[in-house]
Amino acid sequence: MNMLVKAALSAALLVGTSYSALAVERGGTLKYGRYADSLFLDPVLNDANVDIWVLSNLYDTLIQPTDDGKGLKPGLATEWKVADDGLSVTLTLRDGIKFSDGSPITPADVQWSLKRAADPKKGIWNFLVGSIQDVTTAGDHTVIIKLKNTDPAILAALTVFNTAILPMKAFEASQGTTDEEKAKSFSAHPISSGPFVLQSWDHGQSMKLTRNENYWAKGEDGKPLPYLDGIDFEVIPDDATRILKLQSGEIDGAEFIPYARVDELKQADGIDMKLYPSTRVEYITMNVRPKIGDKDNPLSNEKVRQAMNYATNKEAIIQVVTHGVGSQMTSFMSSATPLHKGDKPLYAYDLDKAKQLMKDAGFESGFQTSLLVLAGNQDEIGIATALQQMWGQIGIKLDLQQVDNPSRTQQYRDGTFTMREAAWTDDIADPNEIASYFVYSPTIGALHSGWKSDEADKLFEASQKETDVAKRTDQYAKMQDIYNSSGPIVPLYETPYPVALSKKVQGFVQIPLGNNIFGAAWLEK
Amino acid sequence: MPLLGFIFRRVLQTIPTIAFILVVTFILVRLLPGDPASAMLGDRAIDADVQRINAKLGLDQPIPVQFLYFTKAVFTGDLGNSIGLKLPVIELIAHRLPVTLMLTGMAALIALLVAVPLSFVAALNRGGAPDAIIRGTFQIGLSMPVFYVGLVLLTVFAAKLRWFPVGGYGQNFLDDLYHLFLPATTLALSLSAVLMRNLRAAIIGVVGADYVDFARAKGLRARVIMTRHVLRNALISTVTLFGLSIGTLLGGAVITETVFAIPGAGRLMIEAIYGRDYPVIQGLTIALALLVSFTFLLTDIVQAWLDPRVAR
Repeated sequence: MNMLVKAALSAALLVGTSYSALAVERGGTLKYGRYADSLFLDPVLNDANVDIWVLSNLYDTLIQPTDDGKGLKPGLATEWKVADDGLSVTLTLRDGIKFSDGSPITPADVQWSLKRAADPKKGIWNFLVGSIQDVTTAGDHTVIIKLKNTDPAILAALTVFNTAILPMKAFEASQGTTDEEKAKSFSAHPISSGPFVLQSWDHGQSMKLTRNENYWAKGEDGKPLPYLDGIDFEVIPDDATRILKLQSGEIDGAEFIPYARVDELKQADGIDMKLYPSTRVEYITMNVRPKIGDKDNPLSNEKVRQAMNYATNKEAIIQVVTHGVGSQMTSFMSSATPLHKGDKPLYAYDLDKAKQLMKDAGFESGFQTSLLVLAGNQDEIGIATALQQMWGQIGIKLDLQQVDNPSRTQQYRDGTFTMREAAWTDDIADPNEIASYFVYSPTIGALHSGWKSDEADKLFEASQKETDVAKRTDQYAKMQDIYNSSGPIVPLYETPYPVALSKKVQGFVQIPLGNNIFGAAWLEK
Repeated sequence: MPLLGFIFRRVLQTIPTIAFILVVTFILVRLLPGDPASAMLGDRAIDADVQRINAKLGLDQPIPVQFLYFTKAVFTGDLGNSIGLKLPVIELIAHRLPVTLMLTGMAALIALLVAVPLSFVAALNRGGAPDAIIRGTFQIGLSMPVFYVGLVLLTVFAAKLRWFPVGGYGQNFLDDLYHLFLPATTLALSLSAVLMRNLRAAIIGVVGADYVDFARAKGLRARVIMTRHVLRNALISTVTLFGLSIGTLLGGAVITETVFAIPGAGRLMIEAIYGRDYPVIQGLTIALALLVSFTFLLTDIVQAWLDPRVAR
């Protein structure tokens, strides 16, 4: 082949590639199968992932998280500046932004929305913006957030669902006397600031969203987003049925694919099996109080906890339970969490070391203990039976107690549990949320475990005000070292979000914090 | 008229039954470990939030006080609001229960349409090939779990052959019937097996009875003997069984509704129990208890009509 032909071919290929990258198609309704329905679509008063993970499609935030969940990109605000003393943030609102009813999004709406989010009497998420002292406005485009103290996570907090912007006047004019009553009536006929508007909601069955004609963002074709005319969320609780619906073409996407089906769907025609990076970690929480009830608790001994960690063959559990989809944890926080530290798996499987540690702790002949397992949950039962066998090798006799979730939560909160399985996902692109629950004892007593490290508590408190990135990184590195070596958990694995899409679906992403972003999704005709 | 008096007595008997169920449910849900606020807020809940929400729901009051408020509300027709969904319970029931009624109604109808003719064929060919085939097939149907049958039907008739939609619920009445056909068939399978075994045995018993021989000797036509003498008498025990099975059918609907993604009352109940959503559990229990009591009442009435001795 001569040079000229080669060059022509390459040019044609290049044109083809760039053309296909630009050739987004508009229109159509994407049907998405969810495992459970949302409960209450109010950014401030919700309390479940089923709400959080779809809220950003309805309500926009001042700043948006990047697709990798770690960075920031402009949302309703185009610019932001943290003052030199770190005690205020000045944000510039985008020109011409409107709610779905056509009314302008004003600094007053932003002021009201942020104050509502920070109100300690409203909802359970206000701690994420607990540093906000006051919010003021200046002119038509400027919002100033005054802080009680320096807060290194304040910008990340402005990407979180609870700081989304709602129309003050329409909300306040909604039926009801209390904020919750107003939120209820408003969320039945909401006015959006995000790419979509709630069109109808048949609780437990389906939720239909249509495009917000007034949304500010532009697509690759230069016209306003979203590309889709709408999204139909269908509630299909049974995993097998959700997959069948996708395979039969009745829906275009299905969330929470069981790990056991991932390989099969990767091979399936017409299906794009996605594994989106996530902040989800799976672990065992141990109660480390010296006594549980009136019984001595061997788990209070740090060496015993380390022994159990070494005796846990995580790779085997990953193969058995996640069918190889998961990966080993390198810190208690996921590798997708900012300031995560660690490059090798925690507690590489070492039975000899485990036995030695048990001997050193004075438990050479083992002991009997118990683990709470969520009844009927195949993953948890799989993990529990594997641990029963693995810990049996160092003399630990493990009783499995199958209970339903509220019963387990009760024992957990009361501090009367011995061990339990658990999973965690971050809601904010900052390590402060996971650290406050796992490490910092005043929040919930380090996962209700009774574990406490004065040094870690101090590090956390300091890191909450530390604006110097290098110093904060160092504080988090120390916190992770302390927790990973003596903490009250057995880290098991981190897993991505398994989502199966029809090959027609493009541009959809589930970010590591779990948010399903449909704003730039489109359907190939 | 003995039948009217009988109906009146039976309706009266239903009242204490419902009251008893109400009290027991009210107390039992509160004795379950866990509370609505913890269930709703999950593992991350901090004490202050849990206490604030439980206090707002009145759950910090003693159980007898809560019961007084509840009884008062029930008598004014107010079943409260769902804690999780934040919607009036009455609205949720009005929305979800008809779906379950339609599903179980359709299942009952399919079960009857299948069981009655087939049990005649089996009984009249007792010991023959049709009898063996019919009984064998139903034995398999009876021994397979509902969720498995559901998935098999979905895979074959919905995903592969595309004759039916893969679960979900319709947009109008005809569409609902179309969507509910596979789940109703799934539910009907085990019920029809039970009904068929019972009816077959009853027919065999009645066919050999003296009054049937007498009817034959009178020269009555076979069809008249079958409908007027054999079926009517054989049905008495089957009607009782059918009535009692409605409770089981409602139980089976919980699983079927999950597998087929049908937004019915069964699924609502499961979700409410997991969420410790007391008002929904209580409201649904009242509704389901009324429903089952009403079915039993109907069963008794039909039985009294088939066999007037019952009403005496």
